[in-house]
Amino acid sequence: MTALEDFAAQVGPVGAGPVTCVGGRTQWELGGGLTGAPREVMAPAGVVGHQPGEMIVRVRAATTLAALDEATAAGGQIVALEADQPERATVGGVLACGRSGLRRLGRGPVRDALLEATWVNADGEVVRAGAPLVKNVTGFDLCRLMVGSIGTLGFLAEVVLRCHPRPEREEWWRSEPDSDADAFALYRALYRPLAVLWDGRSVWVGLTGYGADVDAQVRGVLEPAGRWSQVEGPPSPVGELRRSVPAAELRATLDAVSASCPGSSWLAEIGVGVLHCSAEAARVVPAPPPGAGVVELHRRIKERFDPEGRLNPGRSPLTHPQVMAAASRGASA
Amino acid sequence: MTTDGDLVAQLRAALSPERVRTDPMELGLYARDASMLVGRASVVCFPESTEEVAAAVAACARAGRPFVARGSGTGLAGGATPVGDEPPVVIVTTKMNRILDVDADSRVAWVQPGVLNLDLSRAVAHFGLHFAPDPSSQQSCSVGGNVANNSGGPHCLLYGVTNAHILAVEVVLPDGQVVVLGGLDPEPDGLDLRGAFVGSEGTMGIATRIAVRLTPLPPTVATLLADFPTMADAARAVTAVIAAGVVPAALEMMDATIVEVVEAFVHAGFPTDAAAVLLVEVDGLSGGLAVVTDVVTSVLARHGARAVRVAADAAERAAWWKGRKSAFGAVARIAPNYYLHDCVVPRTHLVEVLEQVSRICAEQDLTLGNVFHAGDGNLHPLIVFDARVPGVLERVHAAGAAIVEACVAAGGSLSGEHGIGLEKRDAMPLVFGPADLRAQAHLRDAFDPAGLCNPAKVLPRGGTRCADVADLPEGVWI
Amino acid sequence: MTRGRVLPLDLDELAACVSCGLCLAHCPTYRATGEETRSPRGRIAAMRAVEAGAEAGPSFLDILGTCVVCRACETACPSSVPFGHLMEASRQAVADRAVPWWQRLAYRTLEHPRLLAALTAAGAVAQRAHLVPGSLRRRLSLPELPLRRARLAATGGDVWLLTGCVMDAWQRPVHADTVAVLAAMGVGVALPGPGAACCGALHSHAGLHGRAATLARRVMAALPGPAPVLVDSAGCGAALKEYGHLLGTAEGAAFSARVFDIQEWIAARADLLPAPMPSHRRLRIAVQDPCHLRHVQKAESHVRTVLRPYGELVELTDEGRCCGAGGAFSALQPELARTIRSEKTAVIDAAGADVVASPNPGCAMWLAAAGVEVRHPMEIVAAAAGLAAPR
Repeated sequence: MTALEDFAAQVGPVGAGPVTCVGGRTQWELGGGLTGAPREVMAPAGVVGHQPGEMIVRVRAATTLAALDEATAAGGQIVALEADQPERATVGGVLACGRSGLRRLGRGPVRDALLEATWVNADGEVVRAGAPLVKNVTGFDLCRLMVGSIGTLGFLAEVVLRCHPRPEREEWWRSEPDSDADAFALYRALYRPLAVLWDGRSVWVGLTGYGADVDAQVRGVLEPAGRWSQVEGPPSPVGELRRSVPAAELRATLDAVSASCPGSSWLAEIGVGVLHCSAEAARVVPAPPPGAGVVELHRRIKERFDPEGRLNPGRSPLTHPQVMAAASRGASA
Repeated sequence: MTTDGDLVAQLRAALSPERVRTDPMELGLYARDASMLVGRASVVCFPESTEEVAAAVAACARAGRPFVARGSGTGLAGGATPVGDEPPVVIVTTKMNRILDVDADSRVAWVQPGVLNLDLSRAVAHFGLHFAPDPSSQQSCSVGGNVANNSGGPHCLLYGVTNAHILAVEVVLPDGQVVVLGGLDPEPDGLDLRGAFVGSEGTMGIATRIAVRLTPLPPTVATLLADFPTMADAARAVTAVIAAGVVPAALEMMDATIVEVVEAFVHAGFPTDAAAVLLVEVDGLSGGLAVVTDVVTSVLARHGARAVRVAADAAERAAWWKGRKSAFGAVARIAPNYYLHDCVVPRTHLVEVLEQVSRICAEQDLTLGNVFHAGDGNLHPLIVFDARVPGVLERVHAAGAAIVEACVAAGGSLSGEHGIGLEKRDAMPLVFGPADLRAQAHLRDAFDPAGLCNPAKVLPRGGTRCADVADLPEGVWI
Repeated sequence: MTRGRVLPLDLDELAACVSCGLCLAHCPTYRATGEETRSPRGRIAAMRAVEAGAEAGPSFLDILGTCVVCRACETACPSSVPFGHLMEASRQAVADRAVPWWQRLAYRTLEHPRLLAALTAAGAVAQRAHLVPGSLRRRLSLPELPLRRARLAATGGDVWLLTGCVMDAWQRPVHADTVAVLAAMGVGVALPGPGAACCGALHSHAGLHGRAATLARRVMAALPGPAPVLVDSAGCGAALKEYGHLLGTAEGAAFSARVFDIQEWIAARADLLPAPMPSHRRLRIAVQDPCHLRHVQKAESHVRTVLRPYGELVELTDEGRCCGAGGAFSALQPELARTIRSEKTAVIDAAGADVVASPNPGCAMWLAAAGVEVRHPMEIVAAAAGLAAPR
């Protein structure tokens, strides 16, 4: 029995009862609490193969990001997946949660990294979508659907990810606190920065690429815009929550947060729109609920992929409080 | 069942009488796209707003009549060819061609689906921005069509395909309801329905407003033209460039057949005595650009390039690209019909697959041209023929089937950017099993339970739970 | 060549369109409407449908009649499908039904200089007396007609200058400036007799093939000998250059080889151009490329060569898209023509030029009617060099 077949057998067919898939438990709370005490299963682990000439890596879902990075580093490449705890966080978990890391501005969102996905569906069958190719539009794009689905449509078993050349240089610079450095102006002035982060006092800029280009951007863009010191890497995000804000509204949102929660610390991803903040600050950030049509589409998709609701029962990719409240009312009715 | 007359009356009331057409000759012009697959339309209508699209779709839904969205009709897989149990209503988005809003600071634009790809890039160029997906048909194809097909293009090698450049889509669902999928914020709540919709080939609704991500124009660009004595040398050079740790912005190959016809059109100084030409573009900041240009030049030379030229100026660069992007249209200089494939193969198998494709066409006595996105292994074998010659279609089909099989056998896929449409639909079981196809059918069925939205496309008959799709109409050939 | 069963066109040329659609964005009527029936690809598909047995009925006539025949699609077409030939041949097949008597009458008027002169004078008087009905005024977008024609005299025999019909009646100062510029270059100009009064371009576009051929032979007879034939109207120049194709004779081809657009001929001798006067103010000049100069004669670069010494050239950003004049098109399809023109004037406005140089009288009048400041390149050169004839 192959590792995938073994995993499928663990999930079992319809009628085998509720089941949940466990990764590194680094984002375990996402999507709401489980209900009905589902059985726990774990996807297989291990890097199946890195093909630098194809710029792809095939890896089983429970492989940790650290192990993935080690495998691709040997071939001079990287994969654009990030997590706070790479030793624990798994590839499958990061994809299922769909939350990108602090380098999203330069490396793109998590969803763009997935080329092929193999998962076990609610019938206990192994299903595949996409292809181990950097370019492919054969069939509907279920890979995008799986990223961020929080294991409610199927449990990722094995994936093929896009690799990029490992850059010659990655550097992080931090502006002197309360200096003139304007994060938004820097975002516009820098060419393809890895990240521009701002906590209201300091700006962190991540630069990557060829050494000559990184040096040129430091000299030509950073230095004229304030006093900078080189740092190890990005800061750890502060606060327990993250909010998703349209890039055009980020500055106004930050102004509102500073005004209503002075002293509350936060970190904003400029050019991206992710805001890491406290629960108190999060309340200031507008978060309109998804429309009824979108909620209905979620219901129909779940109904078709998992009619019994046995995969990750109680969890939903729709995490907006109003939707969750409506769902729990519906469940209890 | 609603009669044609009732449906037409409802459509005329919903749009305007003048923008709902039933003249047989006009219907005939909407029976096909840029593929050779011919269907049949019952009505053609031209909405001008989201509300009108929604009203037209709702009228079709009430009547149980299939409908097909169409942009510029430059698709190559029959995605906009109207087929169905009854001749579908064709809903044309070309009159919805306004750029609604450009936010240069946030690098976002809202556009209507009929905006032409190149018009959009031109309109934002003065901000130093562009819309990165650049299919060869970019002068004519619409952004709505790009969304439907998840279009690629030469520069997607570095910048990614359309999906990576679409933030949100306002969609008229197949029941006439209007929703917004995705959002301008980075992590919209819920499933990535935006991602699922992009590339759904018009089977999950009609995009009526699209938020696109705009990409800064590169500060410096170098375009290199290398000529090779054999196709195999050029293919090995492609693999070597990628293996050297370089991802050019674009890496394109043209064989001698194609070089000859495009040179006759653009007079750009392509070497017509070369067996293969590589067009390589690198961009970025000047320091890295110099490094990469050196690396690429030396790799190409080591792999047998007879000469590597760098475009002297913007005009020469533009001429080279015009040649590359005109290739399909230019083959009528050889014969009036072409059948274009769009397979992807692992880059490391390029040499062997190209040799197989060439053998297959020689066996069928067919003229073959190759012009393709070599950097990502996206082949475009182009069979050129005159459909008026008796028996030629059978040979074209036989060769096509053999090419697809050879690509799949090499670990490849059916389509890199043109989509499955009608053309490759029945080849889907070559790459997907029943459970895989069922999962795709589930997604489509969730969007379109009634099965009216561009039916008979993408998924093969049988392998779906949702609908028994119609038999192909007479005259359609695949 | 295999001729069509219904349409007198070359079936191989008709087959040469692969329906790729790369022409669409370059077609002024497709851009204005977004409709296949208003596109080169759609028109070719309709011709094919008719060849395959579809009725050449009113919708086919409409599909043919709404084409400007700007031939921008030919420049855009990677397979160089000769669309102009296909369109003219198709129109020829339906001309009996498609061209009504009043249109034929109008075309015939162009062939008779005295009649045209008389009508012009009457029209000029009527305009000044505000007697032209609004509906006609809007349909024709006529410029202010001259009450008297300027004098025009030959200066030698080095080159012929085609005088033409409407241009000679309404825009004779352009001819006078052309003759003056050539004189300053040391070139003597011969003027043809009344036989060269009408080049037949409009007849040809309308599908009146027989009449066009008769006029072509007349023009050729009126411009004998080896001297180059210079044309200061881009539309007429294109027509003369196509006599070889129209007549299908060696004589026609030999004549066409003698024909040059005025700017094309001067550009090859640009060193002889007169210097601008010291007092001349350098204008910002936007060059408008008439379709038949750009897509048929492919001579648009010469306009720039000729004008460069006299001003700062500004390029329009629409890749030489049609202005909607199209010979008789603006009169026959006024609504479509206006939509096309409004896009053109928007592009012209954005260019911020002092003056628009148009080497085609039809375009010039059509744009002037929309309030654009238009001059013929020869007028600009003559004015800058102090050679302009008194107006």
